[in-house]
Amino acid sequence: MPCCLSDAAISDAAFLALPVSVVAVDAAPRQRILEATYACVARWGLSKTTVEDAAREAGLSRATVYRYFPGGRDELVDAVVSWQYQRFFGRLYEEVHGAGSLEEVLERGLVFARRQVLEHEVLQKVLQTEPDVLLPKLTVESNRTVGLISGFLVPYLHEHGLPPGLEVHEAADFLARMILSYISAPGRWDLSDPDEVRTLVRVELLPCVTGETQIVDR
Amino acid sequence: MRHSSQYCLTVSGGRLELVRSEHNDALASASGVSSQRVRLADAALQCIARQGIAKTTLDDVARAAGCSRATVYRVFPGGKDGLVSAVVDTEVARFFSALALRMGAASDLEDVLVVGMTEAALRITEHPGLSYLLEHEPEVILPHLTFSHMDSVLSVSSTFTAPFLGRWLDHDEAKRVAEWAARIVLSHLLCPSDGVDLTDESRVRRLVRTFVLPGDRADTTETVDSNPVCTHITAQTGAVEKIDRSPRTTKGEAS
Repeated sequence: MPCCLSDAAISDAAFLALPVSVVAVDAAPRQRILEATYACVARWGLSKTTVEDAAREAGLSRATVYRYFPGGRDELVDAVVSWQYQRFFGRLYEEVHGAGSLEEVLERGLVFARRQVLEHEVLQKVLQTEPDVLLPKLTVESNRTVGLISGFLVPYLHEHGLPPGLEVHEAADFLARMILSYISAPGRWDLSDPDEVRTLVRVELLPCVTGETQIVDR
Repeated sequence: MRHSSQYCLTVSGGRLELVRSEHNDALASASGVSSQRVRLADAALQCIARQGIAKTTLDDVARAAGCSRATVYRVFPGGKDGLVSAVVDTEVARFFSALALRMGAASDLEDVLVVGMTEAALRITEHPGLSYLLEHEPEVILPHLTFSHMDSVLSVSSTFTAPFLGRWLDHDEAKRVAEWAARIVLSHLLCPSDGVDLTDESRVRRLVRTFVLPGDRADTTETVDSNPVCTHITAQTGAVEKIDRSPRTTKGEAS
């Protein structure tokens, strides 16, 4: 996976992927601490970020940070990973929730999610420098995500219709796993090319739930 | 385990080689130094399965192998890193060798996928070192199985598996299905599901029928009778034969 990171290009605003003003004084303290910690992680990485750094960045006292995160540094870092992870899938949800068909959900979702992964500078940086710290945390999160994605897909699968003998939750769980798999590692497919994504969806993903070969115009 | 195939994988110079073997113990029949490497790698694996990589010392390995620390250093001048790579090489070779035996003996497309995936899941979940590491030192394993490294794993696995599927599918389709099967196994390894136990062959058969083969019912009669031979597959990630990055255009050739 190419790393699109260059030190010069890094700014707090880019890391937050939000206007800096969002880290406002009146933001709820927990949220403010998370955003401040994220800015620290972007600068120094997961391992080197301390409670003191986060407190300073948020303009709060150490005691306040500990009040919201009694587990200290470890809890804080876990919470930041969780928060970013949920934001990632929150955005994915925003992107696909209005889609009219299962096919559209899959196509739009894969293109969007893959682009988000590649363009997420902090994720790319930490994947390069601290995969050993990040990945066990992401794996814990992804166990939950299979359930979330599969829950989201259920109504679409109902509408799409399944072959006899295939239970909707079984199909949803399977599709959710494959979606996560492609987001993490596209393998032979170029997910930045909408035509290829369309082929992938019709040749690999949809046949699972329709039970028949999709004839693709190649 | 079945020993119906005459093919076996050996490790040489960082590469996996599938060789025609008169014996089923091609690994052990290697030269003296190689067998000492394997013996020490096995001792190291024992230690890793008990206490993980971080806590395993060369003294532990020497003790488990019944030799001196000096011997370990003579065989592995690089020390622990070299020893750990030898463990990985040996175990990767055994893994693919076991898969080759099972898949080489399969008689139809559904079967080759079912036995391949079941064997892979069994080998992975019952592997003493791997299960310890996934539970206690996931930071050692996960970087090799996710994101860009997962692409390499998929590429190695599908390059290895495709020739076995090639008896029933054309080359590009074989590769695509092989990657698909590898994704399923990896997904369940990293994120175990309550309802799906991939070590249960009947469960895998349902998965294959439902999710892998609906698009590939093309031709389930065996067309090529000979064993598939895949001569050189690099065990280390990244250096495999060039993978076609454009499924769309290659698929066009098939139609």
